[in-house]
Amino acid sequence: MSCKIKFLPHNKEVSVSPGTDLLSASTMAGVQIYNSCGGDGICGRCKVKILKGEVTTDSAILSEKEKKDGFVLACRTICKVDIDVFVPEESRVEKAQILTMGEIYTPAERAAPPVEVFEEKIFEYSPLSAKLYLEVPRPSIENAVADLERIFREIRKSKTASPVMQMGLANIKKLPSLLRTSDFKITVTLGNRNETTEVVLVEPGNTADKNFGVAVDIGTTTVVSYLVDLKAQKVVSAKAMYNPQVSFGEDVITRIIYAGDSSGLDRIHHVIVDAVNDLIVSHVISDKISLNDINCVTAAGNTTMIHLLLKVDPTHIRRSPYVPAANAFPVIRAAEAGIKINPRGLLATIPNVACYVGGDITAGVLASGMSNFSHLALFIDLGTNGEVVLGNKDFLACCSTSAGPCFEGGGIKHGIRAQAGAIEKFRINPELDSGSELRIETIGNEKPIGICGAGIISIVAELFTNGIIDKSGDFIKGSSKHLKKTEEGYEFFITDNISVTQADIKNLIHSKGAIFSGIEVLTKKIGIDIHQLSKVIIAGGLGNALDIEKSIVIGLFPEIPTEKFSFIGNGSITGCKMCLLSQSAMRRANEIAQKMTYIDLSADPEFMNNYTASLFLPHTNLELFPSVKKQLKMKNVDYYS
Amino acid sequence: MEQAIEKWPGKIYELIIGATKETGGTRSKVVKIGGSNTLPFLFFEGENPNPPAIAMEVWDIEPTDWPDVLKNEYGSVLNDPTQWAKKCETLGADLICFRLKSAEPDGKNASSTEVAKTVKDVLSATSLPMLIIGCGNNEKDSSIIMDVSQAAKGENCLLGMATKENYKTFTAAAQSGGHSLIAETPLDINLEKQLNILITDMGFGSDRLVIHPSTGGLGYGFEYCYTIIERTRLAALSGDKMMSQPIITFVGQETWKTKECRADESEKPEWGPLKQRGILWELTTAAGYIQAGADVIVMNHPAVVKEVKNYIQKLIK
Repeated sequence: MSCKIKFLPHNKEVSVSPGTDLLSASTMAGVQIYNSCGGDGICGRCKVKILKGEVTTDSAILSEKEKKDGFVLACRTICKVDIDVFVPEESRVEKAQILTMGEIYTPAERAAPPVEVFEEKIFEYSPLSAKLYLEVPRPSIENAVADLERIFREIRKSKTASPVMQMGLANIKKLPSLLRTSDFKITVTLGNRNETTEVVLVEPGNTADKNFGVAVDIGTTTVVSYLVDLKAQKVVSAKAMYNPQVSFGEDVITRIIYAGDSSGLDRIHHVIVDAVNDLIVSHVISDKISLNDINCVTAAGNTTMIHLLLKVDPTHIRRSPYVPAANAFPVIRAAEAGIKINPRGLLATIPNVACYVGGDITAGVLASGMSNFSHLALFIDLGTNGEVVLGNKDFLACCSTSAGPCFEGGGIKHGIRAQAGAIEKFRINPELDSGSELRIETIGNEKPIGICGAGIISIVAELFTNGIIDKSGDFIKGSSKHLKKTEEGYEFFITDNISVTQADIKNLIHSKGAIFSGIEVLTKKIGIDIHQLSKVIIAGGLGNALDIEKSIVIGLFPEIPTEKFSFIGNGSITGCKMCLLSQSAMRRANEIAQKMTYIDLSADPEFMNNYTASLFLPHTNLELFPSVKKQLKMKNVDYYS
Repeated sequence: MEQAIEKWPGKIYELIIGATKETGGTRSKVVKIGGSNTLPFLFFEGENPNPPAIAMEVWDIEPTDWPDVLKNEYGSVLNDPTQWAKKCETLGADLICFRLKSAEPDGKNASSTEVAKTVKDVLSATSLPMLIIGCGNNEKDSSIIMDVSQAAKGENCLLGMATKENYKTFTAAAQSGGHSLIAETPLDINLEKQLNILITDMGFGSDRLVIHPSTGGLGYGFEYCYTIIERTRLAALSGDKMMSQPIITFVGQETWKTKECRADESEKPEWGPLKQRGILWELTTAAGYIQAGADVIVMNHPAVVKEVKNYIQKLIK
């Protein structure tokens, strides 16, 4: 049995199980109703009018006149039969409000699929939000336990440990009628708010199969999200978009300055929240689920991004002595941050390490597995900030270098994110006939539309080993017929309309130089030789075809045997996904963040020297790259012809 | 007491500037620079076979911005490069550093044929080995250097300045004319090495290069220049072949543009007589760079040249 609810003036209809509240029904119907308390019946903004049919309601905060006129709070009202609901203007979320900011958005698109990481099952399955279908025994004279304790008892039966449990008053108020209209067959959603298990949501009927979470990686340049099926424990889809905060500044410092006054903070916060909501909606549409089925979100980003997401003043991050408001934020209701999922769903952020090392690195280290290793490992995140972490289960040390947006396709003339149609592999095969000697591979084998991070690395490495650029990255005129002079100087044409410019190559050299010198200084500081490393784990959203050998050829990574390298793709979002699926992963993330020592490179005089030395292909000190040196010697480039 | 002797694995390349009749040129002698296997003047530790060489500047056009103190030393020869070169020879220069200032696009903008002709004239006027330096404008220098190199073919000159922007043309020119090259970079050991690598990658001998690290005069970052030269030398002695080239510094050029060598006595009475100031400044700067390890010192004032020669003699005795 189900009831039909019709929303007016939208004229949208939805079928729901009896006992469903009207606010949840409205999200299912795609009708947006205001609410700022997350369905707690406090804010009074979800006021609607019942035109037809009978409901059970607890709209205490409405005036007597409103009640008499048929107004109820959508979140506090459950249906038993078919009804018609009118949403008054003041309760509607007007499209116009979104549109004012809307024009700066880039639409979400399909991101590169997640890299299949060997996932040792180190963390047990215990999702941030778990759903449990309960057929609660009916009360009787002999068994007159109260509704709440009755539900708690059933939940405890399914658990090995006996958790501390709680349920908000708002939910308890619904229980008597919800239990009885749904024939005591309910689904509870259990959320973990820090160390307490909370019954976040009680729904009529069995919805246990529909339990989704969203993992979001909020990068300075790119925002990526995964829709995760918490029951099946797998990623359903991946989406990405550029971080729309770019219009307030390319780098975090400018954005912190922008957020310095409250209206700026408000604006920059809304922009990112809207972007996250857009990503979530695009998952909901493409995977044909309802917003109500999404019960939790985990988010990781650099410390500033997380402050802005939660609308916390980031001012002191950039001021000496560089103190953020918090490194580890508590689990909150997603609605409190403005994220639209199930109104009672949770938002957990992965803890940050310090002002300039965020939860994205914590999540990446978690995903890399290095916090379990007994041997030494190096973790490298190729983002706008390139972070390098060295350590194992005993210690972790990290530094942050300013790599620039190049690995994410930023600052490159034809650069794009790792998305379908992005060139991620390139090869010059001089033996083949002219015209067919350039080979490209794109993500999804689609028509090339641009170059992603992995692609630009591949291209520069090939140009270099084929003598089209010299060791400083300058084009050698006349070295290839694909090298043409345009208004912007010389460009190498990969296809008829996709080219690489001199500036693109210099950008990559600066980015790779920052990473390499970060690795050099960090290993030197800790006092280890790179050959002592037993593993190097690379993370970054730069495309899955990252070629380690070519990265070494251009001097991005130190020359150590390629079998020691592994590439885990976007480590930040993989870590977020792990935290969605396992609370012990989340606990580990907290440990990682607390354990990590931050080393400030700006205070290191050696860093600048190492950096200039690394602005060369592969490096000013070629002895660091013996096999690249050999490879280059074999190719004799004739400059005098 | 036991002496702590350092034994270095590396050695500075020895470079010969100039060619006599026997080696296909017309010079009366050659000048050897470099060749050390230890830090400057540590004769107890290793070899410093060649003392620092002194080059004197000759321009192909009269220098307008030189202070009178300096101009007066040369008088009328300043507008005749052949006479000027001859005068330097009598003043005791080891090398002539011939600057092609007339090629400056904002000045006389002389063509490559014109400058090539004066190069030939000066080569016939003096028998000293020569350094030939462009006007300083990358584009213009690239366009004249091939003709200049051909004009001096066989004389084994030292051509400059090859920079990161023009090194391809300069290297090709030096290669075809059989000359050596000065590689000029901003003051940074990595940049020095990078340019050397780029040039040798073209097949040019690493033993035919001289490093110009863009040094400053006394009081103008001199200490930093000193440490960069020292670090370059230490890298070379430790075995880095791409840093093992002799080093040149343009002491005269860096001295005579400073306000200390130009400010009038009425303006700065406390600085002492103007006539002596420049001399002392050039002398102190030269002495400093010689101590740092410079192999060629390019100088201007005849009195200083004399004094520095004495100084070097004392050091090597």
